[in-house]
Amino acid sequence: MTSEKLDIIENSLKSKGVKEYEIFLIERNIHETMLLKNQRDVEREITDFEYFIRLLNQKDDSTGIGVIKGNSTSPKQLDNNITQCVGLSRVNTGPKYFFPEKSNASNLRLAEEKLLKNPLSVKNDLVEELISNCAHLKEVEAPFGRFRTHINHNYLRNSNGLDLDSIKTFYFIELSLKAQKNGDLSEFWDVGYYKSKDHLKFGQRLEDWSKLAKDTLRAKVPEPNEKTIVIFPPNVLKEAINPVVGIHSLAKSRYEKISRFNPGDKVANDDFILHDDGLLEGGLSSNPWDAEGISQQKTSVIENGVFKNFLYDHKYALLENKKSTGNASRTANGTVNNGISNFTVNSGDISLKDMISEIKKGYYIQKFSWLNPDVVSGFFGAEIRNGYYIKDGEFKYPIKLGNVSGNVLDMIKECLYISKEREYSENSYFPYIAFNNLNVSS
Amino acid sequence: MNGTTHGEIFSLFNEISKNYNRKDQYFDILYDATSSFSIKKTPSSEDITVDTKTSGIVARTFIGKWEEIAINNDSDTAIINKRLPKVKNKGDTIAEFESWKINKELKPKINPLDISVEEKVERIREIFNYVKNSDERIINTQVLYAETFTERIFVNNEGCELRQSIPRVRFAVLPIAKEESVVDYDYFIKSGEMGYEIMDLVNNQALDKAVQNSLDMLKAELPPSGKHTIILDPSMAGLIAHESFGHGLEADQVLRDRSYLKQHLNKKVASEICTIYDTPSYENKLGSYFFDDEGIKAGNNLLVKDGILRSFIYDRRSASEFDAKPQGNGRRESFAHPVNPRMTNTYFGPGDYSLEEMISETQKGAILIHGYFGMEDPLGGGMQCTSKKAFLIENGHKTKILKATALSGAVLDLLKNIDAVSKDAVTLDGGTCGKGSEDLIPVTSGGVYLRANNALISPG
Repeated sequence: MTSEKLDIIENSLKSKGVKEYEIFLIERNIHETMLLKNQRDVEREITDFEYFIRLLNQKDDSTGIGVIKGNSTSPKQLDNNITQCVGLSRVNTGPKYFFPEKSNASNLRLAEEKLLKNPLSVKNDLVEELISNCAHLKEVEAPFGRFRTHINHNYLRNSNGLDLDSIKTFYFIELSLKAQKNGDLSEFWDVGYYKSKDHLKFGQRLEDWSKLAKDTLRAKVPEPNEKTIVIFPPNVLKEAINPVVGIHSLAKSRYEKISRFNPGDKVANDDFILHDDGLLEGGLSSNPWDAEGISQQKTSVIENGVFKNFLYDHKYALLENKKSTGNASRTANGTVNNGISNFTVNSGDISLKDMISEIKKGYYIQKFSWLNPDVVSGFFGAEIRNGYYIKDGEFKYPIKLGNVSGNVLDMIKECLYISKEREYSENSYFPYIAFNNLNVSS
Repeated sequence: MNGTTHGEIFSLFNEISKNYNRKDQYFDILYDATSSFSIKKTPSSEDITVDTKTSGIVARTFIGKWEEIAINNDSDTAIINKRLPKVKNKGDTIAEFESWKINKELKPKINPLDISVEEKVERIREIFNYVKNSDERIINTQVLYAETFTERIFVNNEGCELRQSIPRVRFAVLPIAKEESVVDYDYFIKSGEMGYEIMDLVNNQALDKAVQNSLDMLKAELPPSGKHTIILDPSMAGLIAHESFGHGLEADQVLRDRSYLKQHLNKKVASEICTIYDTPSYENKLGSYFFDDEGIKAGNNLLVKDGILRSFIYDRRSASEFDAKPQGNGRRESFAHPVNPRMTNTYFGPGDYSLEEMISETQKGAILIHGYFGMEDPLGGGMQCTSKKAFLIENGHKTKILKATALSGAVLDLLKNIDAVSKDAVTLDGGTCGKGSEDLIPVTSGGVYLRANNALISPG
């Protein structure tokens, strides 16, 4: 598939004599409904595109890169953009760099046919299903909700003959479920992207969320506890692992002396196995190719607790004479950065139910206020929004408020149990993990 | 619409607007154009990017619910008339507000466009090298400079014809320090509705202090866990005012019955020495403007006066529902994002204490410094605000430096436990605010020093 806009931009570049260029173009179509008290309140449709041009200026022992962002293909605007981009590439200086050549990207399928054909109808059907499911919930209300369908058509073309495109569809839900009794209020609120319609599972999801909202109504502030056991479900684990282990696994972090990992180091428990999988079916960041057009792949990062491989984009691969692992990502202003794709952690040998039954005293945290660990040091301290206190192998009572603190880089060395079950959460596919030696304060 | 003058845009928008009779329905249309320039320098990269102009149009109508269409600037605006329905007798489903006209460009002292790219890049390289070479324990330095120009043109079928152009500039330096196995950092940030004069604030003294602050973090210990007397610096006070308290005042949450503060209007929510504001019209701050994205003139919200909750934060829709006077808090991230009632510049007003008095009267506690991040909990009233660092207070003196410190618990408990507010001038720190997890807009928050008893802190 090709885009007329891509041709227009490329022709402009050629007409101005630009030799080394890369064009990344993204066309977006979004349909959204926002719900007020479980009724349609705002209907939105967004049609947009933007492009990023990167130009190279080769110098003796360095390369200047100019980056420009735009969303108009009018000749005047394009001419202005390219002129400025050429100027930037002259001023900029960095390590020697060139654009990758054509490679064999996988035929990964990322779009749902029905959504591509009739996005408005798919969105409306799913909104009705969401409203209907919310209406049937007992003892909870849905004060606010937001549902979107996304179609992203990405194109990448460069002066080395690379010419790629991929169409991706995905969904977004933000939903608040509220319970109230005798003037007391409680809520379960969640927000996130879902790669496929199969992941939405409104029926089961809303039942689970509804239970959390109702349970939180009778939640207690947890007892303070030092060096205790805390279970992180997959969605919470993603907030801990992806930013911290992610940063320390990047070739850029090694190059810039931030990473604490070295190949061969023992960085986690023996049974902790982590991959970066850019082709993961169901992973939100899956794509046949990365931001530079290099094939995405599955890379072993931590094998039986031992750090194995850094994740490379083309730039850091060139700097260290390695092969890119397809780990280039595009920032909002168009620059290319070394980044993770989807992280997976292998399942363990115990069910979640058995895991809980093995714990004499501990905590299960379904949702933190915002975990947001420090990516460099790994430290975090986060308020509990929805969780349970575990006593003698069962959920004793729901908990709220209080703080869990620890360090992600230490935590992965303290995995007590890893569940058999795994779940997708945006760009992760993780089990439930019980960690030892975390602190709960209240 | 590239190359189109704002006069031509006004004419086009008025033509489109005429298709929607105010008696039958409310209609507005917004043009949003952003141009930007940024430099980010790290040890192995120097990213220089330019956005000469990305722009788009969003049009909407209220017919008992909102119908909205957002299109790229290259699109044919005829689609607006095709997609947005025309109805009869729905005009009174939303109140009419003041119709007015303005055309204002905020002029910075030094227009960043008058400074060459070469000069800006050279200045960032100098700063990078100065910080990098300042101490061998600085293992990584990151420097960011970003300038943005936002132009918004608004027309509605109540007669508003508005245009504003606002420059915003941000600068940040982050020196990462390492000694043996300890790695930590602090950072220096400046921002505002200003121009290249921001770089006058980035002198060697400021950079030396940033480096020293990072080096000091190498000695920082984990903070204690539990309930303590705490002093919050203005940036932490601002985080409380914004994240923990302000989000619960956004009237869309009240309309949804999703705010714990709904039943507290005109009741005591804080100690009587507390006054809290949100002021879109505050001059030259990152969260300021002349009109919001719904054409409402920027004003001032007195949210809490002497501890009593006086007002919520309204957009056009919620102000209409609650029969309130909106102060210009309806904001979009861009044409592609929805409008919501949002905060702007949110802060605690001054009291009558000095910081020295607050510290000297505290036998055991902590002073939380450098508001780092926080998260909203509009329904539950919970609080999570984290400072980048803290100092222990022992026997009336600041002693050991502490690592990032999280403040949690119920926000109203904290506000009611405030027993001292400093008499300093209000200071505001710039940042970015999301609603839920997205729709990011520039804001500031701050105020003065506060002291509160019985506050829950733990490592953050």
